[in-house]
Amino acid sequence: MSQSSGLNTTAWPMRIILWLFALMTVIPFGLLILTSLKSRPDLLQGAFVLPEYPHFENYVSAWIDGHFNVYFQNSVFVVVPVVTISIALGTLTGFGFAFLSFPFKRTLFVMMTIGMMVPTEAFIIPLYYEMRYTGLINTYAALILPQIAMSIPFATIFMASAMRQLPQEILEAAVLDGARRSYILRRVILPLMVPAMSTLALFLFIWTWNEFLIPLILVNDDSFRTLPIGMLFFQGRYTVNTPVLTAGAVIVIAPLILAYLIFQRKFISGLTSGATK
Amino acid sequence: MSRSPLDAKVSSNLIFILPGLLIYGSLVFGPIIAALVLSLTSWNGISAPDWIGFGNYISLIADEVFFKSLKNNAILMIFYCAVPVCLGVALAALVWNLKQKEQLALRTLLFLPYIMPTAVLGIIWHWLYNPAFGPFNQALKLVGLGDYALPWLGDFTFVLPAVGIVASWYFFGFCMVLFLSGMQRIDPSLFEAAKVDGARGIRTFFFITLPLLLPEIRIALLLTIIASIKSFDLIFTMTRGGPANATLVPNIYMYQLGFQLNRYGYAAAVAIVGAILIFVVNYAVHRLVRPNHAGDAS
Repeated sequence: MSQSSGLNTTAWPMRIILWLFALMTVIPFGLLILTSLKSRPDLLQGAFVLPEYPHFENYVSAWIDGHFNVYFQNSVFVVVPVVTISIALGTLTGFGFAFLSFPFKRTLFVMMTIGMMVPTEAFIIPLYYEMRYTGLINTYAALILPQIAMSIPFATIFMASAMRQLPQEILEAAVLDGARRSYILRRVILPLMVPAMSTLALFLFIWTWNEFLIPLILVNDDSFRTLPIGMLFFQGRYTVNTPVLTAGAVIVIAPLILAYLIFQRKFISGLTSGATK
Repeated sequence: MSRSPLDAKVSSNLIFILPGLLIYGSLVFGPIIAALVLSLTSWNGISAPDWIGFGNYISLIADEVFFKSLKNNAILMIFYCAVPVCLGVALAALVWNLKQKEQLALRTLLFLPYIMPTAVLGIIWHWLYNPAFGPFNQALKLVGLGDYALPWLGDFTFVLPAVGIVASWYFFGFCMVLFLSGMQRIDPSLFEAAKVDGARGIRTFFFITLPLLLPEIRIALLLTIIASIKSFDLIFTMTRGGPANATLVPNIYMYQLGFQLNRYGYAAAVAIVGAILIFVVNYAVHRLVRPNHAGDAS
């Protein structure tokens, strides 16, 4: 069903403007993919000229010589535990903030919201020294633990507000049946939380996959670098080899585009409504 | 608030919240407090920090480089906030008139940059802007504007707008989608009534759409202003604050002071000022841009 009032007479110029903006948005990505399939001589023919045949060997160079295989693996090694542990902890803490009473509840809640507002740059220096003193610099833990800690406020508030919307009767009935709380959380609440948790997972996936500052500061060994930061150092090393650089960029954004195309509606509604909270 | 049936005694409640709070406290909130304390010291990262009270903050007031970074940030706000929000509202109003399928297609395309890592977008745009073989200048030459094919990221005058445009490009689709979701909330009968009263497109836009979109405009302003104060990844990958501090922003300055010059106390003070700015903006936007009550349930 269309909620619009139908096309009026100015529709065509309007649509052209809109599609021009859409084109502007997509052209950089199009050029990226095009260039990633060129040879270096092809490149000299001009940025908008098609190559004679696609040079997929750029992807092989980026993947192997450019260490994107290592970076990709590291990104996956970091994203998977961050998303799962953050959701688990966010569910527990969110459950606490939604239903349970404990001292300093308001203060703790304010502390959480402060953590959501303060940028990572503001506390990266103490965090760096904390990681150094605990010997975690250049480990996966340095990439995973701070990322989980940074995700907890949002995960908690997100899960708590989703749980508060549950019908009270269901919870009361479960309590009357004499079920234990951990059982209620696992068997009654969690199944109802699946939509909220999948939206949360999407958020955490993008944030972690795209994180730049944490791996920039807390890791300086190439074998621990994740994709965005690996790409930066790759650019420093091979600044002239544009086709391989662009192939690397495609490797970084391909999983995001794939996830976006599959979960498109969830992405858009999730990210915009998440912003509203 | 009434007690939830799930509530129990505090000692058994704590099991649920402690794991999360401990990790958060030790790796985020603790470091925030530590940064506050550190900003009151002079520290080179090796010897014991010297307590100097508000010395760093007093030095900041006289620091021309810091003021330059604030000024750059203020200019960048035009590109981070004003351009995407204005463009977003205008495009949302246009897209609204289209059929559902076309709306969805445009939404999907325009939203795309928002899910990308800004660091990688910075590297991509660094290449697009390349003076010798970058596609941007090649396109200018193709359409006969070769005289304007400047070394964008090396030019003192144009480097800040060149970086800013990338931020506008990143945010405008997101703003548009946000406003479209706001327009879905508006009662369609209002548009009908306006039509009956003979109001035309532009008038409907200014007198109905715009006022009713104020809540979403407020959110968009808040997010983009905060993003501009937080800006680091994009600038770091495109220019590192150069040339000659032409794109320096507080967070880049913090990075240089801390991780390159080992002036950790001073760097922490710069970072804390940035965080305070975010709180001020948050408060100001909440106070100043009040949602219009007409047609709103609240």
